Amino acid sequence: AAPPPSAPGEPAPPPPPLQYSLLLQHLVGDKRQPRVWDPAALGGIPCPPKSEEQKMVERGMERCPFKAALACRGGGFVLGGAFGIFTAGIDTNVGFDPKDPYRTPTAKEVLKDMGQRGISYAKNFAIVGAMFSCTECVVESYRGKSDWKNSVISGCITGGAIGFRAGLKAGVIGCGGFAAFSAAVDYYLR
Amino acid sequence: MDPLRAQQLAAELEVEMMADMYNRMTQACHRKCVPPHYKESELSKGECVCLDRCVAKYLEVHERMGKKLTELSLQDEELLKRMQQGTGSA
Repeated sequence: AAPPPSAPGEPAPPPPPLQYSLLLQHLVGDKRQPRVWDPAALGGIPCPPKSEEQKMVERGMERCPFKAALACRGGGFVLGGAFGIFTAGIDTNVGFDPKDPYRTPTAKEVLKDMGQRGISYAKNFAIVGAMFSCTECVVESYRGKSDWKNSVISGCITGGAIGFRAGLKAGVIGCGGFAAFSAAVDYYLR
Repeated sequence: MDPLRAQQLAAELEVEMMADMYNRMTQACHRKCVPPHYKESELSKGECVCLDRCVAKYLEVHERMGKKLTELSLQDEELLKRMQQGTGSA
């Protein structure tokens, strides 16, 4: 019903009370309209929006297997190769001819031995590095924190997995040793 | 109050509400997920994961509370209407 026109001198009729429920339904309830929110408009620091390809590439690079592959190829393989060549230089028992123990081995034999050892060490280091990096990434994703405990836990898992093939006790020792090694490296790096 | 007027008012209030929610969410998630050790400038994997989860939880809580609040306010208004009708007819 329309309100009666007020004659001059009479007080105006009181305004109808604000209906909060209707307002709330439009604000936070079911009758809300879907909107596109720009962080720059809401108070964030304005920056150009990332394209879809950029977001996809960044998401891919953050994934665990990518990081593990990086550690495996880059760190593990190279380090293992270097270590293998180094130990081949120190601990040579190549070209040992039982008939003639004092014969110095030929350069070709020495190089071949260094190459083989280097590759086998490199493969081992690469696998161990990839395992460690993968477990560390998974543990960090699960915990949601990044501190020293991640390295210790993943070191234990990696060492245990490696040692477990040789028996339970070797697995426990491997776990402890690798965890201590990772903790030391982490302490040095942080 | 007609629905159109309510919708207009809600649209004006929504911008303010969203800006406030964004600021509070940024503050809360930064306080919870990013410890104050600034050895490097990049976010580590754990921190990224934590921030994703924090934002998802915050938005879900916001949505549920909004629905609950509208429910409660509807109940309140119905109660008020019934009381007014009761006193009006009496």
